[in-house]
Amino acid sequence: MCVMVCRPSVPVHTTTDRSVATLFAYVTRRVLISVPLLVIAMYLVHVGVSATVDPRSDFYLCLPRCQEGFDSITETYALDTNIFLRPFTYFADLFSGDGLGFSSSVGEPVGEVMRTRGWNTAMVAIPAFLLGAVLSLLLSVYSARRQYSVGDYFFTGLSFIGFAMPSFVLALIIQVIFGVKLEEWFGIKPFNTGRKTGENFWELLRDITLPAVSLAILGIAADSRFGRSSMLETLNQDYIRTARAKGLTERTVVWKHALRNGLIPLVTLWALGFSALLSGSVVTESIFSWPGIGQTFLRALGDSDLDLLMAIVMFTGVLTVIFNLIADVLYGVLDPRIRLG
Amino acid sequence: MSDALLTVDHLNVGFATRAGIVRAATDITFEIHPGEVLAVVGESGSGKSVTALALMRLHPDNAIVTGDVLFEGCDLLNMSDREMRATRGNDIAMIFQDPMTAMNPVFAVGDQIVETIRVHDSSISKQEAWTKSVDLLKLVGVPEPKRRASQYPHEYSGGMRQRAMIAMAIANDPKLLIADEPTTALDVTVQAQVMEVLHEVQAETGSAMMLITHDLGLVAGSADRVQVMYASRLMETGTIDQIFYESQNPYTMALLDSIPDLDGHREQLEPIPGNPPSLLNPPSGCAFRPRCAFAADVCAAEVPPTVVVGDQHESRCVRTRELETLGGEIS
Ligand SMILES: Nc1ncnc2c1ncn2[C@@H]1O[C@H](COP(=O)(O)OP(=O)(O)OP(=O)(O)O)[C@@H](O)[C@H]1O
Ligand code: SF4
Ligand SMILES: [Mg+2]
Repeated sequence: MCVMVCRPSVPVHTTTDRSVATLFAYVTRRVLISVPLLVIAMYLVHVGVSATVDPRSDFYLCLPRCQEGFDSITETYALDTNIFLRPFTYFADLFSGDGLGFSSSVGEPVGEVMRTRGWNTAMVAIPAFLLGAVLSLLLSVYSARRQYSVGDYFFTGLSFIGFAMPSFVLALIIQVIFGVKLEEWFGIKPFNTGRKTGENFWELLRDITLPAVSLAILGIAADSRFGRSSMLETLNQDYIRTARAKGLTERTVVWKHALRNGLIPLVTLWALGFSALLSGSVVTESIFSWPGIGQTFLRALGDSDLDLLMAIVMFTGVLTVIFNLIADVLYGVLDPRIRLG
Repeated sequence: MSDALLTVDHLNVGFATRAGIVRAATDITFEIHPGEVLAVVGESGSGKSVTALALMRLHPDNAIVTGDVLFEGCDLLNMSDREMRATRGNDIAMIFQDPMTAMNPVFAVGDQIVETIRVHDSSISKQEAWTKSVDLLKLVGVPEPKRRASQYPHEYSGGMRQRAMIAMAIANDPKLLIADEPTTALDVTVQAQVMEVLHEVQAETGSAMMLITHDLGLVAGSADRVQVMYASRLMETGTIDQIFYESQNPYTMALLDSIPDLDGHREQLEPIPGNPPSLLNPPSGCAFRPRCAFAADVCAAEVPPTVVVGDQHESRCVRTRELETLGGEIS
């Protein structure tokens, strides 16, 4: 008697009445709205940067002797025009042959610097992002399903440490343990300092591992806490009981019914967190000597490299706007109760 | 072996809480026969939902369940998780109180029904299952079922959602439907419609039904037998007529006095004085004692045993034999 066979469940295709056209219209509208927003932001940033950064700072000491250099820089950056008008010169140059200008600190055209450094940053930031997303998701589900277990307390403790620790301290600790001590202790060379980015895949992997991990950890600490409470709330919903009452396996209940709901706030958090990753790169890249945008940014700041600073800020701004848009679209796609448009 | 579909024998459900053990269902013993409608009535907190959930092993994690539950001879409480899953939604299906929260908001209604069908029979293709869901929605009276199937729960009204829940519950022709207060959360105007749908599908599929409610009025027209619950225990079990016209239990009588007559003629409604007892430390003896008009010293001595008072008719009261004479004196 009592022999009942339970067959594995099959993922169910979800039909949606939301058309691609609606989505496209929504995205177009959002992009159009963000253009003036970006322009205003760029204007304010330029005024702010010009007010605090003077590319001629090195010349003041030698002044009348180097009057010529002083004047040429003044002219390049239109420093004798009113600070509120200067952004217009910058924008005009942007669309003329000058493009993004020339980076005085690196000694290359800004466009070239952005391209190579941007690529390096992406090689660390994207793995860090993926690592953060995957780990925070797994930790969220684990802690929510095993609420108040030893493992849950352990990860709660870890995340508090992660929260409390400034990112540069964390990066330094990782650097000292894995970059320096391991080499001393085991004679292995897990990662190098100062050299150009890795030539082949394995070298590259070795070089990006430590910066990517330290970049990801802070986000994981925050996101897994948030994801845990989101999943806990979801797992207590009536529809989870309904799902179990239908005879679904615990795996389907958790990874399909609960996760699809619990994930919604997390996805937004990840998308918004991407810009936080970029600011985190400033610290991580400096500590791990990774020649990316973050490290370059510090150098540009120190050397009053106005054009490079502007390009980096502009780049970050555009990315932030894009990721906010992605967050909104994903939110609407994941939650049918949200109406796009 | 009896011909019962479901046999519940001395079922106990307790919750381990900080304050101690909350006994939410105590010594529950009853049977449901194929095709029969058994109503379970009781005040809020009397343990109706806890009992129903324990049958399906869907009780909260902190619950301690003991006793025997046999479904078609299979031991529900001790079968493997896999066997239990194969039973849920297939042989025994459940309809919950609040249709607004009982469906997953991110999946289309039709897909949720398709899932229920295919988890128990993966040989059915998605298309076939989809067609079947549309038919089911039509059966429970959802208008434009084709279009409605691909809508999400939030696009349904409360009554429509409960219809969809019913459609989902009957998708695999269950032998037993457990409906936990299926109309309590609905507008009064749609309550009757949903009850009607429930009865139609129950009659059509020939399944048995355990209808949980705190509304005795609802029971009258819709059940074969009634079971009255108070403070985690069954107080009286009998046919509709036995409960409504020949009740042998003071709690059932008090409950009947607190609702309008079946034909709406009771002149004076008498609410039961006092509140249900704490399940954490219930009063000694009969739990209804503090509120019972017939309470006497004997009632405090021990929990009254269940007494057979007629064919299919049982009552839990130590003063059963004296009630007839006493009843006259008091009223
Ligand atoms: N997880 C739990 N932990 C502790 N006590 C619980 C838990 N779940 C239910 N209870 C208690 O069990 C008792 C019975 O609850 P139950 O939900 O079965 O009542 P009910 O008869 O269905 O009432 P209602 O008409 O309000 O639905 C209640 O007193 C409740 O406080
Ligand atoms: S046992 Fe006593 S208190 Fe309980 S119902 Fe009967 S008469 Fe009332
Ligand atoms: Mg209930």
